[in-house]
Amino acid sequence: MSSTTLDFTSFGKRLRSSYSPRLLLSELLLKQWFEPIIPFTVMIALGVYFSATIPDYGTFANAASLLRLFAEFGFVALGMALCLISGGIDLSVGAILAASNFAALYYLYVLELPTWGVILATLATGGVIGGVNGALVGYLKARPFLTTLVTLIILRASVNLLNERYATVFATNSVDSAAWDYMGDGTVLRIPINAAALLAVLLVGHVLLSRSRYGWHLTAIGASRKAARHAGIRVERMLFATYVLSGMLCAVGGVFYAARQNSTDSTTGIGWEFQALTAVVLGGVSLAGGKGTVWRAMIGGLIVFMLTNGLVRLGIPGYVTSAVIGVILLAAVGIDVKWSKNRGKAAQKIYVNPARLPLADAPSIEAGSGTPYAHNDRLVNAEAIGLNQVEGPEDVILDRHDRLYGSTRDGNIIRFSGPNLEQREVFAHIGGRPLGMQFDASENLIVAVAGMGVYGVKPDGTVFKVTDETSRTWYKLNDDSRLRMADDLDIAPDGKIYFSDCTTRYEMTTNTLDVMEGRPNGRLVCYDPATKKTSTVLNHFYFPNGICVSHDGKSVLIASTSLCKIFRYWVAGPAKGKLEVLIDDLPGLADNINRASDGTYWLALVGIRSPAFDLAMRNPGLRLRMVKQVPIDEWLAPGMNHGCVLKFNESGEVLGSWWDPSGVSHSTLTSMREHKGYLYLGGLENNRIGRIRLDGVDETWTGYEAYWGDKRRDRG
Amino acid sequence: MGFLTNVVRDIEQIVFRNRDQHAIPAMDGAISPNDRLDALPRIGAPLADADDVAEAPDGALYVSAGRRVFRLSGPDHADRTEFASFDRDVGALAVHPDGRLLVCVAGQGLAAINAAGKRAWLTEAEGQPLLCLTSVAVAKDGTIFVTDGSSAYEPGEWCRDLMAKNHLGRLVSCGPALDAARVLLRDMYYPNGVAISADGKDLWFSESWNHRVSRTAIDGQAIGRPRVVIDNMAGYPGRLAPAAGGGFWIAVFAVRTHLVEFVLREDDYRQEMIRTIPPALWVAPALATSNHCHEPMQFGSIKALGIEKPWAPPRSYGLVVRIDDEGDPLESLHSRVGGRIHGVTAARETAVGLVIVSKGSGQIVLYSGGARL
Repeated sequence: MSSTTLDFTSFGKRLRSSYSPRLLLSELLLKQWFEPIIPFTVMIALGVYFSATIPDYGTFANAASLLRLFAEFGFVALGMALCLISGGIDLSVGAILAASNFAALYYLYVLELPTWGVILATLATGGVIGGVNGALVGYLKARPFLTTLVTLIILRASVNLLNERYATVFATNSVDSAAWDYMGDGTVLRIPINAAALLAVLLVGHVLLSRSRYGWHLTAIGASRKAARHAGIRVERMLFATYVLSGMLCAVGGVFYAARQNSTDSTTGIGWEFQALTAVVLGGVSLAGGKGTVWRAMIGGLIVFMLTNGLVRLGIPGYVTSAVIGVILLAAVGIDVKWSKNRGKAAQKIYVNPARLPLADAPSIEAGSGTPYAHNDRLVNAEAIGLNQVEGPEDVILDRHDRLYGSTRDGNIIRFSGPNLEQREVFAHIGGRPLGMQFDASENLIVAVAGMGVYGVKPDGTVFKVTDETSRTWYKLNDDSRLRMADDLDIAPDGKIYFSDCTTRYEMTTNTLDVMEGRPNGRLVCYDPATKKTSTVLNHFYFPNGICVSHDGKSVLIASTSLCKIFRYWVAGPAKGKLEVLIDDLPGLADNINRASDGTYWLALVGIRSPAFDLAMRNPGLRLRMVKQVPIDEWLAPGMNHGCVLKFNESGEVLGSWWDPSGVSHSTLTSMREHKGYLYLGGLENNRIGRIRLDGVDETWTGYEAYWGDKRRDRG
Repeated sequence: MGFLTNVVRDIEQIVFRNRDQHAIPAMDGAISPNDRLDALPRIGAPLADADDVAEAPDGALYVSAGRRVFRLSGPDHADRTEFASFDRDVGALAVHPDGRLLVCVAGQGLAAINAAGKRAWLTEAEGQPLLCLTSVAVAKDGTIFVTDGSSAYEPGEWCRDLMAKNHLGRLVSCGPALDAARVLLRDMYYPNGVAISADGKDLWFSESWNHRVSRTAIDGQAIGRPRVVIDNMAGYPGRLAPAAGGGFWIAVFAVRTHLVEFVLREDDYRQEMIRTIPPALWVAPALATSNHCHEPMQFGSIKALGIEKPWAPPRSYGLVVRIDDEGDPLESLHSRVGGRIHGVTAARETAVGLVIVSKGSGQIVLYSGGARL
């Protein structure tokens, strides 16, 4: 319990602290591609099981012959999947396959078309039948289930009638066509031609569904037909196209089937619609519509196919297999409903993963304790500026003309000017939650904006974007390329903007959760105006908050709020790239750091660690259950109804403190800025900006001069 | 160990999902929050640690504070004289029909002071000392009933008793001469208030730690089977006092918060907190808020735009509830977050009105709406 047991300066240790199995699982659950994980595992398991129990099952030759049998079913399943995604269903897929099978043979033997002609004509046939479905479902708004059921019955009857008439014609005729034979038993790169064609269609289908306007519209319609219509999507046309596509996919299956079997009978495609439905739902294409990929359809298709085929080869009677498939469909539908409904909830439930965070013993803050932190009332009677005219000025800054700026919760930068700073104006509206501010050399006000990134305001009030993203961390599941919560920034002599992005897992509104979690989710990011590139300098950092470039310009001071420490990161000189702890045992949660006129630094403590809070930080289970069981307003917080400003020097020694111990005028004090003998005070939740007179300081010193003018200390 | 209790609790919640959760009820209806307590006129300057009040037959008030009992008399009760002093803190007071003042003394027992200032003592019941007397009431026949909050802690350490999740309280009766002490009920959840109904037939008592008020018939020194009248209060009920026209006033000395209820479920944390942190800084209810930044704070308590939210989760609170003779609340007086009249330990009807003692602030206030008819 004594001092820290964690080493916060080594990257490896910080990386390890940001990992936990629960956390990994919660982030996995939020991934789209993680959704079909259960069917995928089942598919692999089935393959392994049959390879182990059936001799020669695991060979390439067997795989090839199975694929040849599977491919036609694959096309049918794909057609079914498209209809399901559109929010409908196509029960006529099996019948269309049978009809296409007949049609192909008819074109070949009776009309004696060449192979390419047969293929095109059959596709057209499938398309026309699909078109009938599409017209009924799309334009006449018939129920897909009944419509396609009727199509199924009519088609089935017609095919049977035609079969009877032409069976003998097909049996007696023969065509000597190498192309047709190739369609039946050819291979492409040792893969059966029909499987190769399926693969090609899948690739195209994937791009179509996930990357094209058609796919997006289709998914939108499936998710909510009414909303899609309101969004201007042509629902009728899209549905029509979908059923046509489904019919044509079945026709492709039919052509391959015809080429392979060269015969027709009344059992062709019988029951395929239900197998396809089972397969597609099993794979994770939602029956409710709006959700699914071609790969999920194929995973499901392979499971059903392997199961049917494998059970038969294990010598299990066909009717048992059918029963098994039925049971699987039932289970799949049940799981589909529960899983899709609760996955997000489950992920939410386990998203917060508190870690043990033992903090160094806090020094005493009691009045008369003799520590530099001892309570006093130097801020209680601070002069109020803009009382009730600013909402939560998290940071305050003054320009060369002594005008005062505050970044407020309504997305504004408020400016006070005039002799007594009584003239209030909205200097700029940026939006988001503007936090830390700094002037660059050309007097642009650079602002860290939570929820947006880093923005700049020109002296005339024009807002421009500096950066809103950084390079993505390749090994993180959560996409962290966006800046979630840029908190404070400072500018180095070379113009580089160093800023803190205090959390990559939460937002401004939920950042208390990050404190509760106590994991290194934040980072130090740098924007280089010379190259216009943004890069992450320090990843996995514990809630980095205040940022200040040291007086000599060689290092960056970083305040870690959740660790209650100040770090120094060297950006120049012999120790470049090194991170070290500057102050180890602050009595509270560190916020903004800014330069002081005498070559030291100001630091705001936004929260004070209470003993009960410290104990909770050592107890991750407690925090986890608290987050779950207790409403957010009732969570245990560090003490925040007070104001505290500290001063420390280059070697990390705390020199003194300025207090408003019970927050009479300055509670949740987050920033302070020295300017011409005054210290200006800003607070995240306060209704004013305060200022106090400082004794015995350089009364000509201003922040701007210290960075860009003649008060600089970085030039020897 | 702690992990196991949590797993068991989770399983119980699934298996017995309709079981009473004993969750904090909302303060609504007759106990909707208001600021009436803060608006009341005060009787004199604050008395540090003022605890209970009783009315002398001549209309003067006895007020216990610290180790002393004061007598407040004259117009507006402005004259304060020390009536008695003890070696230990004094708490509950009652005036016996024969004129004696009954005083509960922490760690010692019940003292009866007669007009001549002579003291008689009751220090034990059935062999167990009476260390934590929290309230006293006298029936019409002169029988005395006292509540002994806990056998582990004295009244000043009530918070330890709560956080230890004790239920070591007793209801004790004795004769007018402080003789024949009998234990009527045991293993109670910090009985903290006792009163006799206006018709003299029923005895009502409160148990703070399970937020209950119960009643039972009395017959001399014997009682019937207790019946729970209020099962789940939003706060911790303390002393009871009969109200004119039936019913009672309940001094609710603190209100429950989700965080405290949560910590009471978290055994590991709670035990380590008790072991390593001074009681004033525990996650626990308190009689007053010091605003020291080492006191545990809750996110809802953060001042927003300079305003302390009255509806923030309270560390301390002031609440007096009037209930009818069925236990249904009729009216209430509150002092919310930011108010001063917190930690109300006593409310008693007198000839001039309802005298309310706020131990948290030391203030004694007068509510004329509670005047005896």
